[in-house]
Amino acid sequence: MDDLDRVSSIGGSQDIHAQLQAAATPLEFQATLETKFQSYDNYCNLFHFILNSDGPVELDMPNSSWAWDVIDEFIYQFNSFCGYRQKVALKGDNPEEIQLLRENPNTWGCYSVLNVLYSLIQRSQISEQLLAIKRGEDPKAYAGEYGQRPLYQMLGYFSIVGLLRVHCLLGDFSLALKTLDDIELNKKSMFARVMAAHFTTYYYVGFSYMMMRRYADAIRMFSHILVYVSRTKNFQKNAQYDSITKKNDQMYALIAICVAFHPTRLDDTIHTALREKYGEQFNRLQRGGPDSLPLFEELFRAACPKFINPTPPDFDNPELNVDPVEHHLRIFMDEVKNNMMSPTVKSYLKLYTTMDLKKLAGFLEVDPEKLRCWLLVNKQRNRQIRWSEGGLLAGDVVHSSDLDYAMEGDLIHVAEAKVGRKLVDWYLRNLARTY
Amino acid sequence: MGAPFDFAPERPEHIESILNGLDRYNPETTAVFQDYVMQQCENQTYDCFANLALLKLYQFNPHLKQDETVTNILVKALTVFPSPDFSLCLSLLPSHTLNPLPTSSHTPAAGDLSEAVQKLNELKNLLEGADYTQFWATLDSDDLYADLVADVSGFEELMRVRIAATVSQAVREVERSILESWLNCQGKEFEHFVGTVCGWNVDGDKIKIPINKDNEAKGTVVRENVKFDQFSRIVRRAYEQPA
Repeated sequence: MDDLDRVSSIGGSQDIHAQLQAAATPLEFQATLETKFQSYDNYCNLFHFILNSDGPVELDMPNSSWAWDVIDEFIYQFNSFCGYRQKVALKGDNPEEIQLLRENPNTWGCYSVLNVLYSLIQRSQISEQLLAIKRGEDPKAYAGEYGQRPLYQMLGYFSIVGLLRVHCLLGDFSLALKTLDDIELNKKSMFARVMAAHFTTYYYVGFSYMMMRRYADAIRMFSHILVYVSRTKNFQKNAQYDSITKKNDQMYALIAICVAFHPTRLDDTIHTALREKYGEQFNRLQRGGPDSLPLFEELFRAACPKFINPTPPDFDNPELNVDPVEHHLRIFMDEVKNNMMSPTVKSYLKLYTTMDLKKLAGFLEVDPEKLRCWLLVNKQRNRQIRWSEGGLLAGDVVHSSDLDYAMEGDLIHVAEAKVGRKLVDWYLRNLARTY
Repeated sequence: MGAPFDFAPERPEHIESILNGLDRYNPETTAVFQDYVMQQCENQTYDCFANLALLKLYQFNPHLKQDETVTNILVKALTVFPSPDFSLCLSLLPSHTLNPLPTSSHTPAAGDLSEAVQKLNELKNLLEGADYTQFWATLDSDDLYADLVADVSGFEELMRVRIAATVSQAVREVERSILESWLNCQGKEFEHFVGTVCGWNVDGDKIKIPINKDNEAKGTVVRENVKFDQFSRIVRRAYEQPA
C-alpha cells in the first residue's frame, strides 16, 4: 500500500526503542484527531521499517508480550478511530473535524490495516510454520530468514489473531473463523503464553460461532476460557488481569444468551458465577417469551464487540451513518424473536408422551396453526452444526436437545433423551480434595 | 463428517484460488464474483462463502456495489433457509439498510436497496418462523417481489423443496389442505410434487411421510463417556505420595 511506502523517519537505535515502546502503549483517552493521525503515521513507519528494510531487522522485543501488545493496540486504535469517525458524521455538528476527516479518507483505512496484518503473516511464513507443527515437523525448516526471528514469528502469529478480530468487527464471522484454520486451539498454543491473547482469541471465536448460530460451539469456547480464568486468577493479580475483567463479564453475558438458545449443563464454576451475576435475569432469558426481548437486547449491547464500518462515512447524509452495533443488534434480535416461544412449548411438551395439538394450543392460548409453526421452528433449531474435528468451520449436524417430538396429524409424539448421571467430574473433584 | 461452511461442491477452480489468496480483496475481482453469482442464479447452484467475499468487496468499495447483485445474493440465501446464510449476508451490508424507512419523505441516498433488503428480510423472518402459508401470500402481495426473485431460476421450486425438507424432519402425517398451503400448490401439480419429488404417500386427505432419522422421535439414554485419561492425574498422585 502507498501508505507503507512513505519515507521512513526512523533514525538512531535509541529512537527505535522508544518507538517500539510507543507502539505498544495506549493513546490517552481524550486524544485529539491530530494525535490519532500521528499515531497512524507512526505505525506505518514502524511496520514499513520492520517489513521493508533490506532483510530482517536486528531487533529484540522489549518484553515477551510486546508483539501481542503492538497488534492489540494497533487494532484497538483502528477500531476506535472508525467508531469515532462514524459518530462525528452521525452528529454532524463539528465542521472542523468533518473537514479534517474528509481530507484524510485513507488514514486508518481498512485496506492498510489488513495489509499490515497480511504482510506480517506472509513475511514470517507463520502459516507454513504452523502447518509444520501440525504435521509434527520442526517449524524452523519452514520459517525462512524472517520467520526464524522471534520478533517476526510472534508478530506474524498474533497478526492471525488480529485478523480474526478485524473480520469479526467487520461482521464477517465465517471468514473470522476461517482465519484460524492453521492455529490449534489448546493450552499449548503460542497464544496461551500471553493471557490477553488467549482470552481475546476465545472471545472472538465464541462470538463468531454465536452469530453463525452454532450455540453449542460458542458455549464450548466461552466455558473453556472462563474456567481457565477462574482457575488461574489467583496467580494473575496484576494489571493484565484487570484489563480482562471487563471482557470476562461480557463473556458471561454471552454465555447466558447462548444457554438460553441452547439449554446445556454448564461447568459448575460457571453456573455458580452466572447465578451470582445475573440471577433472576438468567431465569428470564431461559423462560423466553416477549418479556425476555429487552433483556436479550441489553446483554447483546453490553457484550458485543464494537462493530465498525470500514469505509469513511457519508458526511452529506448524517442520518445514514447508523452505528453498526445497531445493525448487528437488529439481525440478532430477529433470531431471538424467532426463537422466543421455544422454551414455553418445550416446557409443556416435557410433561407428556403424546399430546393433541389443539389441546396444547388451548393451554397456550394460541391459534393451532400458529402452534404448528412454533413446533416446526423449535424442531429446526434443535438441529445444530457442532464441531468435532478439523477447522473451526467444520462440523456435523446433531440433534441438540434432550426433547424430541414428531407430529402425526394433530397428535404430537414426544420422546425424551434421558441423560445418565454424570459422576466422573464429581468423583474426581472430591478425590482431589480428600487426598 | 459434514462439509465445512466454506465448502461448495460446484465451485470452479479460479474462484477457489481467489478465495484462498489476497485477491479476494482486490476490487478487480468484483466482476469475476458478479459473474459467478449470475451463474449460480442460472444453474441453481449455491456458494455462500464466495458470495460473502463479494459482499465484503462491496463493503470495502461501496462505489462498486451493484444493488441487483446484492439482492440476488440475498434471494439465493433464502433458498437455503433455515441456515444462517441470509443473516450472515445482512451483516456485511451497510448499517443503514435495516433502518426503518421514512414513511413520507423519500431519501434518495438510502435508496431502493434498503427497501428491497427489508422486503426480503420480511420473507426470511416468515420462513424461519415456519409460517409458510404467509410466506407465499407475502411473496404474491407485491410486484417488487416478482422483480427481486426473477433472476433466480426455479425459485419457487427451490423453496418448495426446502420447505418439504424441513417438514419431513418434524412430521409423520399431515392433512392435505395444510400441506397444500405450505407448499402453495394444488391438484395434479401437488400430487406430482409430493409423490414423485418427495416420495411421500398420498392417502385420501392425509399425506404420510416415511419415517426418517428426524421424525421418528425415539427416546434414548445418553451415557457418560469415561476415558482413562481423565484419571491419569489421580493415578499419578497415587504413585507420587505413597500413603
